[in-house]
Amino acid sequence: MQQAWHWLPAIYLFLGGLGAGAFLVAAAVDLTGERYRHEFCPTTLVGSTISGPAVAVGAALLIFDLGAGRQEPWRIFYMFGNFSSVMTWGIWILSLFIPLCFAYGFLELMEVYPEVWQRITGRFGFLKNLPVRRVKRSAVAVGSVLAVATGVYTGVLISAVGPSMPLWSAGVWPGLPVPMMPLLFLVSAVSTGMGLTIDLSATIALPEVQRRFDSLPIIHMVAIGLEAILVGLLLYSANNLGGAGAVSASTMVAGHMRAAFWIGFVAIGLVFPFVVHAYALGAGSHSPLSGIGSGLGIVVAGLFLRYIILASGVPPLL
Amino acid sequence: MQFANDDQARDPNHLLLSEEAGPGVSRRVFLKAGLTGGLLAAAGGVWSSLLPASAQGPSTTRARYAMIIDTAKCTGCGACRNACNLRNHLPENVSFIRFCGKGEAGKEQCMPVQCQHCADAPCETVCPTRATYRTEDGVVLVNEKLCVGCRYCEVACPYQARHFDHERGVVDKCWLCLDYVLGGGEPACVHACLRGARLFGRLDDPESEVARLVNSGQAKQLHPEFGTDPAVLFYIFE
Repeated sequence: MQQAWHWLPAIYLFLGGLGAGAFLVAAAVDLTGERYRHEFCPTTLVGSTISGPAVAVGAALLIFDLGAGRQEPWRIFYMFGNFSSVMTWGIWILSLFIPLCFAYGFLELMEVYPEVWQRITGRFGFLKNLPVRRVKRSAVAVGSVLAVATGVYTGVLISAVGPSMPLWSAGVWPGLPVPMMPLLFLVSAVSTGMGLTIDLSATIALPEVQRRFDSLPIIHMVAIGLEAILVGLLLYSANNLGGAGAVSASTMVAGHMRAAFWIGFVAIGLVFPFVVHAYALGAGSHSPLSGIGSGLGIVVAGLFLRYIILASGVPPLL
Repeated sequence: MQFANDDQARDPNHLLLSEEAGPGVSRRVFLKAGLTGGLLAAAGGVWSSLLPASAQGPSTTRARYAMIIDTAKCTGCGACRNACNLRNHLPENVSFIRFCGKGEAGKEQCMPVQCQHCADAPCETVCPTRATYRTEDGVVLVNEKLCVGCRYCEVACPYQARHFDHERGVVDKCWLCLDYVLGGGEPACVHACLRGARLFGRLDDPESEVARLVNSGQAKQLHPEFGTDPAVLFYIFE
């Protein structure tokens, strides 16, 4: 197994995806106008305010995982220079995305709590004429592009090592030169984002969420199904490579990662939430308890997936 | 109502802040802070990309070094590994040289693997700070002062030749004992090999043994399908 990246990078990949996904879900609700059809929208509130801290904490953990870069933090500025490195792309993307997340969170909070905004504009008079909703929409539009970039680049980062880690560079299908990881990480990011901003927020705060978003359980089930298909294709593609790729695949499903995979990811992250949403679809209602259950399952499984993929990386036998 | 001046007429309650008026963050200060931060990031990036990517040796002739390992002669005694560890002050459980088996069962040959000093080195491509770089002589080196210890190069190397030093927080690997080599000598591992399984020389010298072996095709790259084009390490597989 590869020895370089363990829990801290896995948590960063997870938080980066969660923050990006939460941002995208909130952005979708905002830009489609759905946010303004109701007095209170927990999805945009949680998505906008949590995404910034989530990605920022992930980035901080990553800095903590550095060697000399932690001892001499100014070296981190050197990381902006090598544009052939996906890690440099990432640090630029995050440097732009994180402030935008905080801006979105701040503006959303100001719309939800106008009395706080009054106090702020009283103090900083030049903000008085700021068109909050318009600025927020611009931040959301630009931020959505960066959110997709954040969700995708982490997959590109690990797939870019090519033959050095066959599991990470495995294609969407044997023989196809399109790597699976960028797509899988993006889908997982959106899925965990939905788990946080809908299951763990709207379902708890709004008892009648089912009636407000009729297609909600179907969207969830599609996302979960898609993630299952992509992971299945990843395993098939990696196994098809033989050698280290096949060892990685068998490590995940039958080797020392099998408990984390089948219980931590498949059972609590795919099967359980899928069943909960299927039941909600049939019953026409979604209890807060089931929302918490499926939301926690989806979110925790996102972390498990990242960790399993890192830990199952096997370099080629020479 | 009378006002002392136009500013006061526009803003009788002093809500429009300027740098002269009371405490609080003015728009100017905010913009300055943001620009400074952005310039710092850009400066760091420009600085690291301007750093010279090559180290010039004392000679102006561009050398092309080669180290050939004859797997038929290697017994896996570990003398090369010991010499390397001694040279680089590595602890017992760490090594820049790994021993891999090669060949069919029963007829296995020993194959020491270390940094191949690739012409298309993935470690150089992925290093965000450009700490890893390739000299004009084709030697891949690590500038310790730039390395942040992200270990991306470690996972990017298909030969798993790179090692993270937890104490210094940087990644290290075979550096071809460049100080010996530039002085006309040979790397410690070559010198230590008792069976003569390691040869060292310059490919740009057509009379040399290494040039003969590489040009004839007897000495080959290890796993050329990785696409990294090893440029210094070659192997004779019998």
